[in-house]
Amino acid sequence: MDLGSGLLVVTLIGGAYMAWNIGANDVANAMGTSVGSGALTLKKAIILAAIFEFLGALLVGSHVTDTIRKGIVEVSLFAPTGPAGADGPLLLALGMLAALISAGAWLHVATHLALPVSTTHSIVGAVVGIGVATFGLAGVDWGTMLEIVLSWFASPVLGALLGFLTFVFIRRRILQSEDPAGASRKIGPYLVGLVVTIIFLSFIYKALKNVIEAPPFALAVGVSLALGAVATLASRPLIKRADAHPGGPYEHVERMFAVLQVATAIFVAFAHGANDVANAVGPLASVVTLARTGFQEIATTVPVPLWVLLLGGVGIVLGLATLGYRVIETVGRQITEMTPTRGFCAEFGAAATVLIASRMGIPVSTTHTLVGGVIGVGLAQGMAALNMRVVRNIIASWLATVPIAAAFSMTIYFVLRAIVF
Amino acid sequence: MRTIAALFARSPFGPLLEHTERVHQTVELVPELFEAFTASDWSRVQEVYERISRLEHKADEVKNDIRDHLPSSLFMPVDRGDLLLFLKEQDAIADRAEDLAVLLTMRQTPTPDGLREPLAAFVDQVVRTSELWYETASALPTLQEASFAGPEVDKTLERIKRISDYEWEADKRQAETTRAVLAREEELGAVSVIFWMRILATLGDIANRAENTADRLRLMLARR
Repeated sequence: MDLGSGLLVVTLIGGAYMAWNIGANDVANAMGTSVGSGALTLKKAIILAAIFEFLGALLVGSHVTDTIRKGIVEVSLFAPTGPAGADGPLLLALGMLAALISAGAWLHVATHLALPVSTTHSIVGAVVGIGVATFGLAGVDWGTMLEIVLSWFASPVLGALLGFLTFVFIRRRILQSEDPAGASRKIGPYLVGLVVTIIFLSFIYKALKNVIEAPPFALAVGVSLALGAVATLASRPLIKRADAHPGGPYEHVERMFAVLQVATAIFVAFAHGANDVANAVGPLASVVTLARTGFQEIATTVPVPLWVLLLGGVGIVLGLATLGYRVIETVGRQITEMTPTRGFCAEFGAAATVLIASRMGIPVSTTHTLVGGVIGVGLAQGMAALNMRVVRNIIASWLATVPIAAAFSMTIYFVLRAIVF
Repeated sequence: MRTIAALFARSPFGPLLEHTERVHQTVELVPELFEAFTASDWSRVQEVYERISRLEHKADEVKNDIRDHLPSSLFMPVDRGDLLLFLKEQDAIADRAEDLAVLLTMRQTPTPDGLREPLAAFVDQVVRTSELWYETASALPTLQEASFAGPEVDKTLERIKRISDYEWEADKRQAETTRAVLAREEELGAVSVIFWMRILATLGDIANRAENTADRLRLMLARR
């Protein structure tokens, strides 16, 4: 086996390892709160997560890959004529491999230490490390990096805002009304319509992009609104017919929201697959393209082959199946205070934020956006008790993960370079 | 990631309800206590006292558990200080019930016939006050579910107002019973009179504490 195909095989394993870690780590985000609120059993949660993570990764995944691969480190610097010399393309491939291994390993370690680390932040940090290791501080586009870092702070804020507003609406219209059960019968169908509209909007506009030309935005909105209206009309008789719950009006409201929460949990799983598969697939796709040219050329735009996305999706599902279930179980058991109304609001805020961000090509952390959604509901005084010390830990992890992942990938990169050259 | 789970601290509202239940169990035994005492059945007074004492101890354990799990880094829909004061007042209800039970085991004092009727009415009114406190305080998880707003809050505030009426009524019964005791000064003797006065004051204090607890709940709701 020559160096090129050897490198390709090792990178495929590295990419699969990273995807596996993403699945093992992050899936609890989407499903943990639903299991906690009792809206889903553990088994159903695993099956739904597997299906929709995979679909999200496969259908929407390629949108986000660009920013991670090219935006942070200027890829043209690695051209054979560039400052890295004739071996530039090979160095880029080694760098991407180092990034995958280090981000995957860092996630692996963090999972064992129960540290609140983001997969997105890990891979961004690792790629920055490669840029600095090769070209010094000038090798990183600090403008893009700043934008990404700002989005890390902006996305939980946006998630919090959406979670806050959704809960305030539900509280005013349903929980505080004279007849909460009756109000939920009235408003429920519209919420079903809203959720369906947004899910289909993201699905039509983004998911099918790999299959067909994206339809114009107005058309996508129109079709989604129509589907939402259909869902509203279809769900109305079902919701109206539901008998009063013997546990009282609030039980009745919660039971209805349990269904909506499952829908948003699926939405989060889909959004997570779409957003986070890039963390494994981006560097991998780059190496695949480099190998195709025999490490002689740098392509400015790199298509992400479907089979690479497939590998990423399978990796995530494997991670979810082997380790993720345990994380979901733990998370579900620990958050017994979550109710479906609260879970719905937090997840809705998070999923909408992640989809907006991945549409704009900004890598955001799904974990931290969901944390933002939960805090938003808490600020609207919906949560029984939130641990603000954890919020501090999360912010600390934002600051710590990037340098640690960068140092990790630089080390692996130097080792790989010593082996190859 | 476990981050999401770590964000959720243990809710104090479930354990608070448990504390309410435990305290209520002690007050529930007060009529039985007086039944035994007025029947001069001293061994049964002792037996009821022991049950109340055990229940009070359990309430204390729940109280300490709540306090242990309420770090100041918690973000809650109600003020942490208000919640702790509510807990303190609620716990005092059980303390008073225990004090009363201990007192009744101290001295074998017969109940004169003329005292029975006003005493029974007084006990009854104290129990009614604490029943209403129990009904109000055990709605706390529902209030949290409704996020401390809307018709649930109005219902609670209305109950709290009624508790204050009930307590006032209990005060009047206490005065009546006290008068009945003092009217029998000669017949009872000084020690018995003083003993009765303490019994009546402690019994009345149960209603006072129930009212205070309800007032704490009112403050918790009003601050928002």
